[in-house]
Amino acid sequence: MPQWKLLDELLMDAEALKELSLMVKLQSDWVKRRASGLFIDPFLVEVKIKLLGKEALASALLAAWRPLIAAEQLTPKRLSEALEYWRVLLPLSQRMKELEAAQFPEEKTLSVSELIKLKFLSERAFNEEVRKLQEELAEASEGGPVDYWKFVMRETYEETLLRAYALSFIISNGYANLIINPVEETILIETAGKQVQRKGGKSVPISINYEKWMAMRNLKNRTEGIKNE
Amino acid sequence: MSEDVTISRKLKKAAQLLLFQHHRLPGAKGWELRKVLGKDYMKVIKLLERRLEELGLEIKIVYEDGLDHQTPTDEDLDQARFYVICKSPLQIGEASLSGWRIDTLAVLAAALAYITSKQGRATRREVEDLLREKFPDWKVDQDLNRFIRRGYLDEDEEGNLYIGWRTRAEIDRKTLVSIIAGSSPQPQQP
Repeated sequence: MPQWKLLDELLMDAEALKELSLMVKLQSDWVKRRASGLFIDPFLVEVKIKLLGKEALASALLAAWRPLIAAEQLTPKRLSEALEYWRVLLPLSQRMKELEAAQFPEEKTLSVSELIKLKFLSERAFNEEVRKLQEELAEASEGGPVDYWKFVMRETYEETLLRAYALSFIISNGYANLIINPVEETILIETAGKQVQRKGGKSVPISINYEKWMAMRNLKNRTEGIKNE
Repeated sequence: MSEDVTISRKLKKAAQLLLFQHHRLPGAKGWELRKVLGKDYMKVIKLLERRLEELGLEIKIVYEDGLDHQTPTDEDLDQARFYVICKSPLQIGEASLSGWRIDTLAVLAAALAYITSKQGRATRREVEDLLREKFPDWKVDQDLNRFIRRGYLDEDEEGNLYIGWRTRAEIDRKTLVSIIAGSSPQPQQP
């Protein structure tokens, strides 16, 4: 300090001190986190988890677990608010009319990855479904192409949709081909053997709404009924 | 006498705020307690805690940064959440009171210990791969989703799992990880 000759030197030294004190604080925070006892070798923990049985893991959790206490409550005030809400609520039939009059939102398509993120689909379960369907298609099309609707139709609408979706995956990835006859209005599918890299290509929308599915199912049941007679 | 009445009223109010859930999460924030009980709310909380000790309960303060604060500031306390928890851990015989099976408890223990060892964050895929060595796919998926719903775990859009708010309140992760890391594996059945 006695060697300071210029104000600039004083300012630079003050700046350096400030940066040093900031670094010390950051180091102190880092040490606090590490010293909180939660730092432990992840590999060791992973090995121990794999070696321990269910009972030992459950016991470890119980030794560290102190459950939270909380109760839900319904107060007279909240009940009175609910009664008031009930009083002003329109009947369902009137509300439904208003909903129908409102414009329907635009339909949107979701990709498989979005469905997985939304947890409608499990990635592994979906991949397994695609693999099984591919094997089924290979077996079914040994004698030649098979009818698309016969292949995807199942007893429930949900299962039919899942099969159609998985099949679209198989076709898009080049493991199967669609054969469309616009004159006879038939759609056939055949397995491609090995994966074909598609260049360009085009989208073929195939609508499977619930009414159509019901109509096809009823037709199938009638046809099978006639065959059995 | 009037001071006793005031304290008694404040104790009841504090108990209501902490024991009855009136938000998405149970407990109450420090600023809520300060607003209702006054700026000396920590004295009321300490008094309440002494009453709760007789019932085997205590008040847990979880700070916003998730760390322990030996000398918290007013700002730290304002943003912290106060819960009522059991004073001592559950015994093996009481575990059935949680309503969870032993294998669900084991999945939770393994998931929390693993994520803790990874400094509080791991991908869901890593956790699932670890758990699938001992449990079927459907159970791993079902249990992880259940823990996320209950608040023991958090998941972001990129599929990373974090320690959830309920774990911070209920579970002493240091003890959990120490027990798991220090335990001996069971002998293999012939």
